[in-house]
Amino acid sequence: MADVSLRNLTKAWGGFTAVRDQSLEIRDGEFMVLLGPSGCGKTTTMRMIAGLEEPTAGDILIGGQRVNDLPPRDRDIAMVFQSYGLYPHMTVEDNIGYPLKLRGIKGAERAAQVRAAAAKVELEPLLHRRPKELSGGQRQRVALARAIVRRPTVFLMDEPLSNLDAKLRVSTRAEIKHLQHELGVTTVYVTHDQIEAMTLAHRVAVMQGGEIRQLDTPEVIYDRPADLFVAGFIGSPPMNLVDGDHADGRFTAAGGFHATTGVARHGGRAVLGVRPEDVTVGPAGSGDLDASIYAVELTGDAVLVTVQAGAARIIAKADRAWRAEIGSTVALRLDASRLHLFDAASTKRLQPE
Amino acid sequence: MQDRRLKYVLILPAALLVLGTTIWPLAVSLVTSFRDWRLTRSLTPGPFIGPEHYVTALTDDPDFANALQVTASFVAIDVALTVVCALGLALLLRRAGVLHSLTRAVLILPFAVSPALVGISFRFMFNAEMGVFTWLAGAVVPWLQGYVWLADPVAALLVLVFSDAWRWVPYMTLVVLGGLSALPKEPEEAARIDCASEWQVFRDVTLPALMPVLAVVAILKTVFALKMFDQVVTLTGGGPGQSTVTLAYLVYSIAFRWYDMGYASAVAWILTAMLVFLAVWYMKLILRKPGGA
Repeated sequence: MADVSLRNLTKAWGGFTAVRDQSLEIRDGEFMVLLGPSGCGKTTTMRMIAGLEEPTAGDILIGGQRVNDLPPRDRDIAMVFQSYGLYPHMTVEDNIGYPLKLRGIKGAERAAQVRAAAAKVELEPLLHRRPKELSGGQRQRVALARAIVRRPTVFLMDEPLSNLDAKLRVSTRAEIKHLQHELGVTTVYVTHDQIEAMTLAHRVAVMQGGEIRQLDTPEVIYDRPADLFVAGFIGSPPMNLVDGDHADGRFTAAGGFHATTGVARHGGRAVLGVRPEDVTVGPAGSGDLDASIYAVELTGDAVLVTVQAGAARIIAKADRAWRAEIGSTVALRLDASRLHLFDAASTKRLQPE
Repeated sequence: MQDRRLKYVLILPAALLVLGTTIWPLAVSLVTSFRDWRLTRSLTPGPFIGPEHYVTALTDDPDFANALQVTASFVAIDVALTVVCALGLALLLRRAGVLHSLTRAVLILPFAVSPALVGISFRFMFNAEMGVFTWLAGAVVPWLQGYVWLADPVAALLVLVFSDAWRWVPYMTLVVLGGLSALPKEPEEAARIDCASEWQVFRDVTLPALMPVLAVVAILKTVFALKMFDQVVTLTGGGPGQSTVTLAYLVYSIAFRWYDMGYASAVAWILTAMLVFLAVWYMKLILRKPGGA
């Protein structure tokens, strides 16, 4: 077990910079999720930690030792790939046992360790099958077993759930969380799925354009997004973002949309953000402002109400029993303690006093 | 009904062409192989004599036995050399890069040279007095100075293999490269992370995954090596002695130097039988469903 630190890490191919001057301290035993849209540099960052890509500049330290010049095999890491990366001609048992075989662990001892790892992910009955005879979920569990069998100092997981169907994703996610908790191994996990990031991580690094936009616990990232990108990326349905003007603690937008923000210092163009669950719909006249209903969608556990408030369209999350006709007028109440204000030019968050 | 007839009309020219140039000659040669027909005696085919030619070839013809043995040696060395060299070159050329792609493009050139021409070129290059290879070999290994390569039975066969490998290796390299580029990268990367050395990655992951492609290359090359003819004519003429007489060259000699059309047809059909067997095996291999490998 070890901490991992990235110091001013940069990776560029020709004119394209995938990762830009990135520094990140991952603590011993921490579950760190790198979250971002495709092309944000999260996989490249992980591949540099693994030693599959060479950094253009900067240092990578594992357990305090600089590993830039070490090949993957000397870094004592294990990696789970998006499309599993299993050895197709080997049985499940040989797949899991391969890292042990390379370390010269033989016979009964190897078999015992393989069996123990397989038991952790409930693969014991399938040890003699080949990867092509397994379902996607089973294959991913083989990849997990192969990663845990030799007790590495760091786990790297590159979108391990993205090839699984929705139902399996939820159960495998829980398995990964449980395994990491049980083994306590430092884990770096790459995903574009914000739910995975929120549910799994001790801390999340939200990345865009090769840079970390915010690094914090899932709670803070959700409650206090550092900028417009993070605000829009985290949350489903996404945060409502309204363009407008801000002066003297009051936000106004075209068409009569307004709100009180509690940020006194700032004046000028701004973006107001409010999460759908922090918007309440009620009878006309009873809230902060009235608006007409644009659409009503029942998702099962809630009703998503889209309203036209001036030029802006706002989504509110209402109780699943809530009903209204499209076109009718309702009142919106915004939870003043959970409003987010961003400067339009810098896109940075403006904190209320 | 109109459409149904039209499709046969459209296929007719191609069908006639194949019938006239392939099926008909094959049928005639099969019939001829059961007849006694020496052009030195008669311009028309002689009487049917049953499988006598086949029996002679397989039991009582030192020329046939020799050609079979020469062909077998040639095929074994040629196929092994081609597969190993193609695999090695493909692994070297696998990486991306301007020089790599340029080399890949230039690589196809030897295959564009006619095999007869390859034979003639190699005869000059292995000429004892002015051949560039003779000179090169002499420069590296002094006692090979002025060595008459094509006068030694074993060396002549090796030169024949060398000339054929020179022509085929680049093409087969491209086939292997195609196979390599179709392999998923992740198993190799997983192996590297699992502590495999580059050699272990190759032996345990890349090579097993590449086996179906290598099998195709080996069978294809076997088929073409079995038919070895052009370079024998232009490079060694079957010599020295009979040391480089392949089966195809033997058929040619029997038919057009000794004018024994019946016997030549029989030997040709023995060769054809081997080729058909390999072709069927090859088709089975490449038509196998993906993922079954």
